[in-house]
Amino acid sequence: MTGPLTTEPRRVDLEAVLRELPGSPEPTTQPGALGRRLELAQLKRAAQLLGASRGARLADMFVLPSAPAEAGGDGGLTLHLVFGLDQDRRYLLLQAPLSGRSYAAISEVAPACFVEECEIFELWGIKPTGGHPLNRVLLAPGADSAPPLRSGSPGAPRSRRGVPTEVRAPHVVRGEAFEFPVGPVRGVGQESLYMGLVTTGEEVLDAYLAWFHKHRGIEHQVVGMDPEMALFRVERCEGPGAVGNGLAFARAVESASGIVVPAGAERTRLVALELERLYNHAAAMAALCQSTGLGVGQAQVEIILENFLRLNAAVFGHRYLFGVVAVGGVRRGCDGATLSEGLSALCASVRQIGSALLGTNSFVDRLEAAGVVDAEAAARLGLVGPVARGSGADLDVRRDHPWSAGDSHSGLEVATAVNGDVLSRLQVMLQEVDESERLIHRWLQSGELIDVADALPTPAGPAPERGERRGLGWCESVRGEALSWVQLDHDGKVAGARLRPASVRNWRAFDDALRSRNVFTDVAIIEASFWLTVAGFAR
Amino acid sequence: MNVLESAAPNSRPVPVRWSQNPKADSVSSEVARVSAELRETISRLFGRSLHIRTIDTGSCASCESEIRLLTAPHYDLHRLGLFFTPAPRHADCLLVTGPGALAMDHALQATYEAMPDPKIVVTVGACALGGVFVPDRFTHGGVGRLLPIDVVIPGCPPSPLALLQGLLVGVDRLHASINPDRFRFSGASRP
Ligand code: SF4
Repeated sequence: MTGPLTTEPRRVDLEAVLRELPGSPEPTTQPGALGRRLELAQLKRAAQLLGASRGARLADMFVLPSAPAEAGGDGGLTLHLVFGLDQDRRYLLLQAPLSGRSYAAISEVAPACFVEECEIFELWGIKPTGGHPLNRVLLAPGADSAPPLRSGSPGAPRSRRGVPTEVRAPHVVRGEAFEFPVGPVRGVGQESLYMGLVTTGEEVLDAYLAWFHKHRGIEHQVVGMDPEMALFRVERCEGPGAVGNGLAFARAVESASGIVVPAGAERTRLVALELERLYNHAAAMAALCQSTGLGVGQAQVEIILENFLRLNAAVFGHRYLFGVVAVGGVRRGCDGATLSEGLSALCASVRQIGSALLGTNSFVDRLEAAGVVDAEAAARLGLVGPVARGSGADLDVRRDHPWSAGDSHSGLEVATAVNGDVLSRLQVMLQEVDESERLIHRWLQSGELIDVADALPTPAGPAPERGERRGLGWCESVRGEALSWVQLDHDGKVAGARLRPASVRNWRAFDDALRSRNVFTDVAIIEASFWLTVAGFAR
Repeated sequence: MNVLESAAPNSRPVPVRWSQNPKADSVSSEVARVSAELRETISRLFGRSLHIRTIDTGSCASCESEIRLLTAPHYDLHRLGLFFTPAPRHADCLLVTGPGALAMDHALQATYEAMPDPKIVVTVGACALGGVFVPDRFTHGGVGRLLPIDVVIPGCPPSPLALLQGLLVGVDRLHASINPDRFRFSGASRP
């Protein structure tokens, strides 16, 4: 017998690619991230080069006002592309000042950023040339009245009142198929979302999703705020991902203003992040049981979920861990004794129920081959988190993009599965529960955590600089890589912010998953296995 | 079934009794009698049972999570006679979360209008109260100006226990707000 075929991923010769890349290095770079400034006309070519090198993953694309000192001057806008160079443990940020109202569509060479191109058009009125016709993403139909971008403000949403003439995008459905509308008001206790399920009766042939009903424009609301105040809103853009998104944002601010977070505070907020992962995975399991009609399993997992939330409240003072992360550290310490007492029992019950569920054939049958996202689609769409890992992508920001030199995640085993179906995603979640438990216990034993009784350490580092500063922040949130880009003005207020919760990425694979020969009743199962929030997408 | 049996006298059409009563001056006493019957039935009906529809107008999904947990074993809403219903036409109570995103205006109004009278609106969370967002181009900053609010449940998010307490206040409120005279006219509006 021959040994297993190992496909060694081709290492990016980053230096070669960077040498070939047009543009000039951006001086304000930070550890773990490179910057490069180029001309708008060079951007597509650069994206193509990076895409061809296979080690670069297009992680985000957005538009923000240029700093007054930059080329393009007052009121100008800059297009940003963020690439994850995962094997090189760095991010690469490409910035190109926009000169007109258009740019060459990047999605032609990097399909992952199609949703972002739609967002940019809706919010800023800047259109990609070439590429696909744009979809409705963040603003409801009829909201196209983007005003001139004098103050660098985004387009105005539709007028305050009145019935929209059109509540869904005009989709053309041919033949016997029709579009079965679900939403935006859906089941009890579910978020608002419009799903147009294209069907001939039972099988879902295609799906159109509209997330815009919940758009709150948080990225625009935080402009002009103190970073601390902005963090309050950022946490509330996606409640069940408050720690992950808050941490990415706080890190962006810290790296912009040169704040060094004390090691204990950093560890403490990582504990909160893992607790967030644990309760979310339990919640996803409960939703999986509910959608498969497994009432007993659902009740049992809900007991665990409630107990996780109560543990959160006992340890950090909030059931959903709001307000734990602060710019420069944490806003409160954790009750380590309570945590170590409660954690093991809860994780053990997750394991117990997990194996009971995986031994229940009627349950596993519903999960197998449902909602398949193959590895190719996961890479093409730039998926992250458990959804990507369930499709075999070996990507975890905790391991691939360590935030600080004293890495807290050494020895992290990244759980992956290969089938890309609902079952694979459940398996990934179950393995992640074990990893999170192991990490938390290790950090508890290290004795470095800040206890509730301790005084909070003050962040170290040089006195905050004056002038415009920028920073990128990231972390592996529950749903995958969360990114944040922050620009601070002279007074240290937020001059521009980009939030990229993992939900923004992973929703774009949802219709692919639905298309893989599923029937109506599978939709809820697939949605539970993705475990995304509309709020995170429509931030 | 308790609910169905007690619903029967309630659904007996009032106009039949009107037609059986040709004398105008006896109408008022008959109305009073029927009203008393209605009041008694409805107090029995709503005193221990309430059907709830939820709507999300831009929440962060945590309030939704807490609402879902109301049916979990720790809280088990059903044992209190409170039920979730997917159909607004069956709902007595609307639980509203979120700050009132502009794009949800139409859906919110349509849901509210589809609910039969009498109905109560309970807002859930700081967002809906106006404590998280300010009115701007994206949201109303709260739902207070969009619907007549009967009960507010503060918290970010309010725990399931807080939700239960709010709902119990809501049941009382619904009970107290029932004015039998309203049932004489179809489409009577709420105070
Ligand atoms: S009140 Fe708080 S928890 Fe509830 S939706 Fe608003 S931000 Fe989220």
